[in-house]
Amino acid sequence: MDSAQITTYLPLHPLEFRILLALAGGPNYGARIVRHVEEHELHGGKLYPANLFRRIRDLLERELLEECEGPEDADARRTYLRMTHLGEEVALAEAARLEALLGDARDLDLVRGR
Amino acid sequence: MSSQARRCYDLLLRLLPPEFRQRWAADMADVLEARLDGASGPLGRTAVWFRAILDVAVFALRERLVGSRRAASVANPSLPALAIQDFKYAARTLLRSPGFTLVAIATLAVGVGASTATYSVVYPVLLEAPPYPDAEQLVVIWPEANLNRTAVGMAQDDMASLSRVSGLSNWSLTLTGTGDPIEITATLVSPQHFELLGVSPLLGRTFVAEHEIPANAGVVVLSYDFWVRAFGADPDILGQVIDLAGADHERREIIGVMPLDFRPIDASTEVWVPLQGDPTLALEEDTSWYVNTRIGRLAPGVDLEQANAEIRAHAQAVRDRIPSIIDAETAQSATVAPLSQHRARGIGNALWVALGAVFMVLLIACANLANLLLARGEARHHELAVRAALGAGRGRIGRLVLAETLLLGAMGGGLGVATAFGLVELLVSQAPADFPAIADVAVSTPVLGAALGATLLATVLAGLAPVLKASRADAAAALAGAARGATGSQRARLGTALIGVQVGLAVVVTVGSGLMLRSLGELLAVNPGLDPQGVVAFRPSPPAGRYPDGIAMRAYYDRVTEQVASLPGVESVGAIHLLPGTTSNWSFPTYPEGVEIPEGTAVPSVNFRATRLGYFRTVRIPLLAGRLLKETDHADSELVVLVNSALANHFWPGEDPLGKELRIFSRTNDPARVVGVVGNVRQHRRDMDPLPEMYYPHAQVSWNQLTMSITARFDDDEPLRRAGELRQAVWAVDADVPISDMQELSEVLATSTRPTRFLALLLSGFASISLALGAFGVFGVTSYTVGRRKSEFGVRLALGSSRFGLGAAAMGRSLLPVAVGLAGGIAGAVAASRLLESVLYGVGATDLATLVGVTLLLGMVAIAATLVPAWRASRVDPVAVLNAD
Repeated sequence: MDSAQITTYLPLHPLEFRILLALAGGPNYGARIVRHVEEHELHGGKLYPANLFRRIRDLLERELLEECEGPEDADARRTYLRMTHLGEEVALAEAARLEALLGDARDLDLVRGR
Repeated sequence: MSSQARRCYDLLLRLLPPEFRQRWAADMADVLEARLDGASGPLGRTAVWFRAILDVAVFALRERLVGSRRAASVANPSLPALAIQDFKYAARTLLRSPGFTLVAIATLAVGVGASTATYSVVYPVLLEAPPYPDAEQLVVIWPEANLNRTAVGMAQDDMASLSRVSGLSNWSLTLTGTGDPIEITATLVSPQHFELLGVSPLLGRTFVAEHEIPANAGVVVLSYDFWVRAFGADPDILGQVIDLAGADHERREIIGVMPLDFRPIDASTEVWVPLQGDPTLALEEDTSWYVNTRIGRLAPGVDLEQANAEIRAHAQAVRDRIPSIIDAETAQSATVAPLSQHRARGIGNALWVALGAVFMVLLIACANLANLLLARGEARHHELAVRAALGAGRGRIGRLVLAETLLLGAMGGGLGVATAFGLVELLVSQAPADFPAIADVAVSTPVLGAALGATLLATVLAGLAPVLKASRADAAAALAGAARGATGSQRARLGTALIGVQVGLAVVVTVGSGLMLRSLGELLAVNPGLDPQGVVAFRPSPPAGRYPDGIAMRAYYDRVTEQVASLPGVESVGAIHLLPGTTSNWSFPTYPEGVEIPEGTAVPSVNFRATRLGYFRTVRIPLLAGRLLKETDHADSELVVLVNSALANHFWPGEDPLGKELRIFSRTNDPARVVGVVGNVRQHRRDMDPLPEMYYPHAQVSWNQLTMSITARFDDDEPLRRAGELRQAVWAVDADVPISDMQELSEVLATSTRPTRFLALLLSGFASISLALGAFGVFGVTSYTVGRRKSEFGVRLALGSSRFGLGAAAMGRSLLPVAVGLAGGIAGAVAASRLLESVLYGVGATDLATLVGVTLLLGMVAIAATLVPAWRASRVDPVAVLNAD
C-alpha cells in the first residue's frame, strides 16, 4: 500500500493509537489491552471499557487489527488480536506524524525540558 | 466478583448489541472484576459500579441511536443523529442549572437506591421460597417447645402426612487441637435431616440411621464456609478426626462437607452432628430435652390442612404419655406451618414495616421529582414560547424537553443502581450475625427494574406536562404573559397537593423511626442485672485428654483463677459456663420441693448455669438472701444451689426459699439445697422478663469436661488492654491450653440489642431521607409560589402593605398544605405503627411523646424551608416589579 493511501487513515484517534501500541509487543486479548493502556498510557487512570472495545471493533473493520489464535492454554471465550501489516504501517506513520508535530513544537520553543 | 454481581452485570450488558456483547462480554466482566477487587470499601465499589453502568449505558445508547457512524449524513440528518443532537443540547441545558439537576438526580438515586436495597434485604427472608428442592412441601412444627429425640421419632410415626421429620438443636462448641481454638455453632440434627431437605453434600456423605446410635455418632458434617475457614478447603479432609468440646470432649470423624450454596435452617450453623440417643428408650426415659425445632416434609399429595389435623392428634398423644411436657392448650394449638415462616420468626413484622417505610420513601421521591419538574416546566414556559415564536416546531420542542427528562432519568437511575449496591453492602455489614438468610442478600434485579421503572415513569409523566403545554402554547399569549395566571394556578394546586402527600408520608416514616429509637433507648436503659464495665471474659479450652477427670479439670481452673487474681489491677475473678448475653442456653426440667405439678401442666424448664467462686462478685450480681458459693461447696459436700429471685418468686411466692430443695431431670435425683438468692439477670434479651435461673457450683456438676468462661474485673475502663497479661497468666499454668473469645463483657451483652439497633438504623435512615425530601419539596413550592406572585407583592407593597405581613402571607400559604399533611400523616402513623407493636419495647405504638415530637420536628423543618422564600417575598422591590410588568 502506498504512503498516500496510508495517510487516509491519519490522524488516528489517540485511543486507537494506544491500542495499536498495546499490541506492538505481540497478540493479546481485550481485558489485557485495557490493563496495558491504563498502566502504560494513563498511569493508573481508568478507561471506559465499552468505549475501548468500540474502538477495537472499528480498527478490526478498517483491517488495522485482525483476530488470531491465542496461546494453547487460552480461555476459549477470549478474542485474541494482533496488528495487521497495514496496522503496523499506519502505526509507524502515526508515530512519524506525531514526531514531526513535536519537532514543530520544539522549533517554536513550546516543549519544555529539552 | 460474586455470582450475583456477575449476573447483574450480564443483565446490564444485554443493553449492548448482541454481536458486540458476544465478542467482548467476558473481557468487560474481567475488567469490572479487577476494579471491584481493587476498590476499597462500599463507597469505592459503589463508584466502580457507577462508572460501569455509565460506560455501558452511554455506549448502548450511542450504538442504538447511531448504529454506524458512517450512516449519518450531515446534510440530511437522520432521526438518530437528531436524537444525539437533542441529548447534547439537553445535557448543556441541565448543566446550566446545576442545582436543579443535582437535586433531581439525588432524589431519583435515593428513591431507587433505598427501595431496592431494602427490598433486597427483606426479599430472601419474607418472600422467597427457602432454597431447597420442592420447598413448598417443607414445614415447621409449632410450638417450638423443648422436646426430646424420642418425641421427634414419635412425630414421624404418628403423622402419615409427613414423609420425614427432623429435630434440631443449636449448640456452641469449641474446636480444639487445630491451632487456636475456634468457637463454632453446631446444630444437632436427626440422621434424615439432609435427605428431608433434598440436598446432597459437596464431599463425602451425610448422616444415616445408624449415626443415631451413640456408639456410631462420632461423626460431623461441615458447612462450606467452615471447611474453608478452619481447614483451608483441604480436599483430603474426609476421614480426619477433630475434637469438639461442649459439655464433653468429643472426637468426631469428618464425613462430609456441604456445598457453598446450601443454606442451613439456622443461618449461623457451621457444623452438623447427629442427634443421638438410645433408640430403645421410651419417651418418658429420654433426657435429651434440648430439641427445640422440628421440621418435616409433606408426603406427596398431602396439603397443610391434612398435616394440621394430624399434628394435634400427635401432640395429644405425647401429652397422654407425659402430661408434664405439653399442656392442654399447647396440644390443641399445635400447628404445621410453611418453613418460610420459620425463617422470619421474630422479625417478620419489623421487616414488613421496613418494606412499607421504604415504599413511602419511594413515593415521596416520586412526588418530589414531579414537583421539581413541574416547577421547572413552569419556569421555562416563557423560554419555550420564544422558541415556538422563532419557528421551532411542536415536535422539536417536545423532543428537547423529553430528551432532558430522559437524561435526568438515566443519570438518576444509574446513580440509584450504584447506590443500591453500596447500600446493600452497608446493610449486610450492619445486620446481626443471626439475621436470617443474610447469605442470600443481594441486589434483586426485578426490584431494581421496578424501582427504576417507577421513578422513570414519574420523571417522564412530570416532564410530559410542560412538553404538552409547550407544544400547545399559544406563542403570542405566552410571550405577553397572559397564559401565566391560568396554568400557574393549576400548577400551584397540583404542587400544593403533592406537598401535602409528601409531608403526610414523611410523618408516617418519621414516627416509625422515632418509635424504634425510643424503643432502643428504653432497651439500653434496662438494667441487665449486672455491671459489665471493666470485666473481661475469655475461655481457656484444655485439649481432650489433658485433664481427663473432673478433679484434674477443676484443679486446672482453680490454678487459672488464682493466677489471674494475682495480676496487678485485678479486683476479682470468677467463672461461668455460659456467659450472659450469648444465645446458647441450658435449660432442664426441674422439680422444686413442695410444689405440686398439677395434672395437665408441663414440668417447668429452668435455666441452668455452672459457676465458680467469685463470679457474682466479679460481674456484680447482688446477693439478696443467704450466702454465695464457698470453698467448702466441693464434690463430696452437700449439693447446693443459688437461685435468682425470679425462681424464688415463681416456685415459692411469699415463702423463704432458703433451705428448700431442687431436683433436676427427675423427681428421684439427688436434691440440691438452696443456700442463696441472687438478683435477676437478663440472660438473652433485654426485652424479655428475667427467667427463673439456678446456679450450681462447678465443683458439684457431673460434666467433668465442661469448659468455663473466666471473668475478671479490672480497675480499668479499657480492660482489654490487659489481654496480653491475661494470656500469660493462663499460659503460666499450662502453656498448651488455647484461649478463645477474649472480649469485654459489655460487648457480649451488646449483641443482644443488635436486631433493634439494625431496625432503628434502617428506619432512621429512611426518616432522614423523608425529612430532607420533604424540606426540599416545601422549599421548592414556596419559592415557586413567591416567584409567581412577585408582581402581586409589588402592588401590595406599593399600596401600603407591610413587608412582614407579605412574608407571613407567603409562609402561611405554603404551610397550609403542610398542616393538612401533618394531620393526615398522624392518622396514618397511628394506623401503621400498630404493625411495629411486636418489635417495640417499653413504648406504645401510639406513643404521644413521639407523635408530638415528630409533628413539631416536621413543622419546624417546614417553617425553616419557607423562611428564605418568605424573606425574598418581603424584599420585593415594588418599583422594579411594576416597571418589569
